[in-house]
Amino acid sequence: MKHVVAAKKILQARGLSKHYGGVVALDSVDLDLREGEVLAIVGDNGAGKSTLVKALTGAIVKTSGSVLIDGRETRIDNPADAKAAGMETVYQDLALVNEISITKNMFLGREIIKDTLIGRLFGVLDFPKMDAKIRDLFEKLDIRITDIYRDAEAFSGGQRQAVALSKTVMFGKRIAILDEPTAALGVRESKMAMDLVSSLKDHGLSVIMITHNMQHVLNYCDRVVVMRLGKVAAVCDVAEVDGDTLVGLITGAIEKRQGR
Amino acid sequence: MINQKSSEFVSVPQAKTNGWQILRYQFMQIWQVLAALILIYAVFFVLSPAFRNIDTLLSIFSQAAILAILACGTTVVLISGGLDLSVGSIFAVVGVVVGVLIKDYQLAYPVAIIGALVAGTCLGALNGVIQVVTKVPAFIVTLGGLTAYKGLAELLGSGKDLSRFPEGFQMLGSGYFAPICIMFGAALLTGLFLTKTRLGNHAFAIGGNEEVARLSGVKVARSRIYYYMIGGMFAATAAILEVSKLNFAQSSRGVSYELFAIAAVVIGGTSLFGGRGGVGKTIIGMLIMQTIIVGLAYLGVGTSFQRIAIGAIIILAVYWDVWRRQAR
Repeated sequence: MKHVVAAKKILQARGLSKHYGGVVALDSVDLDLREGEVLAIVGDNGAGKSTLVKALTGAIVKTSGSVLIDGRETRIDNPADAKAAGMETVYQDLALVNEISITKNMFLGREIIKDTLIGRLFGVLDFPKMDAKIRDLFEKLDIRITDIYRDAEAFSGGQRQAVALSKTVMFGKRIAILDEPTAALGVRESKMAMDLVSSLKDHGLSVIMITHNMQHVLNYCDRVVVMRLGKVAAVCDVAEVDGDTLVGLITGAIEKRQGR
Repeated sequence: MINQKSSEFVSVPQAKTNGWQILRYQFMQIWQVLAALILIYAVFFVLSPAFRNIDTLLSIFSQAAILAILACGTTVVLISGGLDLSVGSIFAVVGVVVGVLIKDYQLAYPVAIIGALVAGTCLGALNGVIQVVTKVPAFIVTLGGLTAYKGLAELLGSGKDLSRFPEGFQMLGSGYFAPICIMFGAALLTGLFLTKTRLGNHAFAIGGNEEVARLSGVKVARSRIYYYMIGGMFAATAAILEVSKLNFAQSSRGVSYELFAIAAVVIGGTSLFGGRGGVGKTIIGMLIMQTIIVGLAYLGVGTSFQRIAIGAIIILAVYWDVWRRQAR
């Protein structure tokens, strides 16, 4: 989807800042996500990538700034607000609870309750319904995990990431935010996870993805935001940059430039 | 799309889970502690002739009953990654409260029971609220509760003769049948709560990884308060039963009951670190502890040595938990 002619801006961040005492982790960052694109966020360690994502999704309380969804200012003070606004986030290392089953992980915080009097009164979970939804989804996404009643820790890194990513399709009505989806994965598992990321588009999601892998940016993303020292150093169309340019922008060897 | 030939995303194909599979899965969870219980019982059965009758077995169950009911609440709190050292003192407060309500206020005993249950639940809620609001660790808050509630029990009960209760009330805790039934009832309710309900399932998620639970939209603080309320409610249930059984109430009851409860939970195999466990294990853990206490007594071993033995078993049980975690 390289033709980004006046695509609708589904999510906009304006002047996002986060201060920890005297330390400025995020310094008045603006960011646009266009409908149907995969937007990469790159930058060195400590550049503010994760802080930006956490400020966007309400995982931390931002010092200042605002978030607009479909051009309307939307209050996002906690993860529940973000979810209500149609954002689904996969945090690095914080995607699944090891001790509970895949089914319980998928629906954690959004369980389906049995539609009976007792069910509604006591919050009785409807496991058959949840299992069926997961099986449908996994079939649609070609994720071949069948023993979904087993605890999450029984699965490989790739399988766990697939489960976490599929959560964005199940619940993220519009926006998926991924913090290093391939961080802990081997080469082959990374490829599969990234294929899954690009298939999110086909399911109507716009994607923001933090990554350290320049090849993934070039192969799978439409635009890239380069962060340095808590600020946006550059915004580029992926079609117009190469790996060396990106590395130069990340390290500061190449000075700030603004793409489209 | 995902590569068809790759194996990482493919796991062993399995038919849909049915009741039998779930039952087998649950049995696999408890067979080790169950085997340990049977083995320990068998050892005493061989060693002591006096151990070989049904009365001994029933008295083990009925002695376990009151502490096991208390431990149902402790199970929930520990699974959620919390800790409650104050339930022994809540037990003391509730014992006095039910006594005062019946003897001083002349309330009908069912009303007094409801009042006492509410009192225990409120004290549990206080534990939770203080933790959530002040962010002081559970260990400290409930250690404070251990002393403070003890003082409250003494204030409420001082200079009062709380004994000789109405006959209907005495029925609850006397004999074998009623306490054992109430124990299994409490265990069944707790089990259904933990496995079937949203709030119960959240206990495992919060105990497993509180941050993931929070980011997933689980209302962690509110849920925690509920778990401490459940702990307080089961402490109250146990206290009411004991008052009924002894036919008197005293503020000095319940001392170190919280430790026995935690011991039973851990011996049963519920993780001290949260996220894993179940109430069936706790009941078996409590039966193991009572079997050892009764068995050693039958062999003429004094209470001091019984305590040393229980202490050693607690350490072994936690060591096993730690070892299992590292093995993963």
